[in-house]
Amino acid sequence: MAQPSLSVKKEKPEHHHFVDADQQFEASKMGVWIFLVTEILFFGGLFAAYIVYRAWYPELFIAASDELDVFWGAVNTVVLISSSLTVAMAIRSVQLNQIKGLIINLWITISLAGVFMVIKYFEYAEKIGKGVLPGAHYTYDGVDHEKANIFFSIYYMMTGLHGIHVLVGISLMLWLVWKAKKGHFSSKYYNPVEGTGLYWHLVDIIWIFLFPLLYLID
Amino acid sequence: MSGHHVSTAKFLWGVAIALLFLTFLTVAAAWMHFPEPWNVIVKLGIAVVKAFIVAAFFMNLWWDTKFNALLLFMSILFLFIFVGITLLDTLYRTDPIPGF
Amino acid sequence: MATSDSPNIKKLQVRRYPPEENPKKTYLTEERGLWAWMTTVDHKKIGWLYLSSIAFFFFVAGVLALLLRTELLTPSQSFITADTYNQLFTLHGAIMVFFFLVPSVPAALGNFILPLQLGCKDVAFPRVNLLSFYIYVAGAIIVLTAIFTGGVDTGWTFYTPYSSSAAGGNIMMMTFGVFVLGFSSILTGLNFIVTIHRMRSPGLTWNKLPLFLWGLYATSVIQILATPVLAITLLLLTMERLLGIGIFDPAIGGDPVLYQHFFWFYSHPAVYIMIVPGFGIISEIITTFSRKHIFGYWAIALSSLAIAFIGFLVWGHHMFVAGQSSLANMVFSFLTFLVGIPTGIKIFNWVATMYKGSIDLKTPMLYAMSFLFLFMIGGFTGIMLGALSVDIHLHDTYYVVAHFHYVMMGGMVFAFLGGLHYWWPKMTGKMYNEFWAKISLLILFIGFNLTFLPQFVMGSLGMPRRYFNYLEQFQGYHQLSTWGAYLLGVGFVIMAVYLFHSMRNGKQAKANPWGSRSLEWQASSPPPLHNFEHHTPVIIHGSYDYHKPMSEFQLGIPTSHNGHGEEETVTPEPGPAEEADK
Repeated sequence: MAQPSLSVKKEKPEHHHFVDADQQFEASKMGVWIFLVTEILFFGGLFAAYIVYRAWYPELFIAASDELDVFWGAVNTVVLISSSLTVAMAIRSVQLNQIKGLIINLWITISLAGVFMVIKYFEYAEKIGKGVLPGAHYTYDGVDHEKANIFFSIYYMMTGLHGIHVLVGISLMLWLVWKAKKGHFSSKYYNPVEGTGLYWHLVDIIWIFLFPLLYLID
Repeated sequence: MSGHHVSTAKFLWGVAIALLFLTFLTVAAAWMHFPEPWNVIVKLGIAVVKAFIVAAFFMNLWWDTKFNALLLFMSILFLFIFVGITLLDTLYRTDPIPGF
Repeated sequence: MATSDSPNIKKLQVRRYPPEENPKKTYLTEERGLWAWMTTVDHKKIGWLYLSSIAFFFFVAGVLALLLRTELLTPSQSFITADTYNQLFTLHGAIMVFFFLVPSVPAALGNFILPLQLGCKDVAFPRVNLLSFYIYVAGAIIVLTAIFTGGVDTGWTFYTPYSSSAAGGNIMMMTFGVFVLGFSSILTGLNFIVTIHRMRSPGLTWNKLPLFLWGLYATSVIQILATPVLAITLLLLTMERLLGIGIFDPAIGGDPVLYQHFFWFYSHPAVYIMIVPGFGIISEIITTFSRKHIFGYWAIALSSLAIAFIGFLVWGHHMFVAGQSSLANMVFSFLTFLVGIPTGIKIFNWVATMYKGSIDLKTPMLYAMSFLFLFMIGGFTGIMLGALSVDIHLHDTYYVVAHFHYVMMGGMVFAFLGGLHYWWPKMTGKMYNEFWAKISLLILFIGFNLTFLPQFVMGSLGMPRRYFNYLEQFQGYHQLSTWGAYLLGVGFVIMAVYLFHSMRNGKQAKANPWGSRSLEWQASSPPPLHNFEHHTPVIIHGSYDYHKPMSEFQLGIPTSHNGHGEEETVTPEPGPAEEADK
């Protein structure tokens, strides 16, 4: 299956060490998938910490998650799912060689990601305002549990790392818009769009798990 | 092995609507206050279904080479190994000196 | 050569491409100059960049080891303070593990050899490859800065609460450096997996893949699955110091044993990142110098993957006395014994390969045989440490130190040196001096055993590791060990001298000085810039088919592009054309 085929009618690859464009497309997509594997295990460490502490202190997680606003968490979920849709539409556009559609869809995705970050900012500001800070700096006394600070450490680590990934996604998509305007992409070559799309969907999937794990404990 | 699967716009919208519906469902489940073990199971079950839909139809794993799906599966498997074996310790620890 | 008419079989016209002897144009003569080297995307040059970096760090950490051993000549203080001693053993461990052992075989030798063995022009993502080297450099600079701005004295494992609340040193910078370094390792692994999957030459099916590549493949799998967990662990540790998040730090309500779980989930598989590619080298060397088909090809190939997998299940054997639950202890102890099975399979198959072979005792082969001897000792003592009750007695003694060094230095470093000597003619185009190579190996072998055998004895007598002072009854063992370490130093100096000497004044190497059937030896020595410049290799026989004539190994089809984008017209040269099935 992976044998580079040697028949003559093949698209030329973008980079010379590949045999043809198909080999390059499949290789770069596999590379992105392997990168996503590392991302899953990277977040996996935080999920492990979450599970261990939740198994130790179930009552802490029930009490502390009341401090999180389910409404804004749900809104952010909707925002991210919509952005996943627009990124999929962006890939569809470039596959059909509609570069204008690609750029419009990317802009919508970037705006949705921006909305997500703004909501996140207000959530953080509200918490920091009342003294809900990670670990040693925790001064809030609304949660009646001696390890409440650890719940919020995990909360900040998980959502913070996720937020950084959203920011990285925004920059990647700005770069894609720039490249698209310069005419780099076509239905024959769109590997970076495909890769960024996969990355963005993974960011979405991680949020799909963070939302019930952090906000929806009753 | 078709790496260049093109979905129709209608299909992508359908997937997104399904995801939004499941989001609504999971919030609704939170209001219903299931008894303890079911609470977690229902919400994580919905999350797993949502993640599967995204991976299969947005990330095109449904049509992709099986190896990429295998990669995703392996990452989840090793995450389970990591968490599962760690829990063998943290869940079954007894204080060697009570009250220490 | 099968001549089936099945529609899946495509016929290819191949002809012989014997490698050019004394090539004029090689990767060393093209793209010269410092700037060309620093910005190269050629996997061979990147291999050299890595090789020189790891050699530098091996030297630094080796000198640290000699300082440590010198200090231990006397039971009380000899010439450095206890705090300096703590820093030295931490740095020796951290540098050796993260800057030498992990990248040594994959990033240095693997980078050079992998595309050659696959018959492709480069790895799948050459620019990512260069990026991974510069990430390594960045990590190295951060770590060196940390050393000169306070150092670290936590031990290379950075256990909490040493690393979270203890005041000393510049721990945050050190862990940040190792964090950065992890990405270099991840990118190398990613690159190798994609390359092996997507870039193989026509005919190079999975059951013809050289065993070195199976080893690298298993290693890459571990790198991408385990390294991210190290990254998140170190990130949490950094946050622990920066914000006091309290997940690992007992002072704020955290759990230090949880840190050990996180750390060893990476660091136990990481010892397989170090040793599994070494296994691959040994497979190549033994079969080449026995002139014989490898015994049990699939057993060796799959046991690499099995070790990679089982390696993920045993991390808790580092924590038997750390306060882990007894249930976890029992499970981990049982699983630890399982590692012995695939490792034993390999050893038996190597020995069976040598059986009735036409053994040629060249330097690489002698390294391979030393490896077998030393690694066996290391492996068996590992099984003993994996037994719960024995470990209570032996944990944190010199027995563990000796076990680890027998596996990592006697196993991994000897395999690495074997590989370095084996591929040296290919990499430099020059032969090293066989006589001095053997002398240096002899010195290393004696020096190594003199250093670490006494440590088994004093460990079992109760000498704890990482101690600055010790009881007088251990002085004899410590002194033997120190003299052995000096001898090791002498051996390495000799090696450095003759290797450097050979680069300038060595005899010109033939394209295939060992008569190997493996694909990298079908390119000239040193290879041209794009490896197989004028053809795409076509593989019919496996790389261990010593019963087939050499003429059936140098086959290929003319390439249509030479690597610079210009389309070239290919005129098949007259010659005995052969048919190959694909």
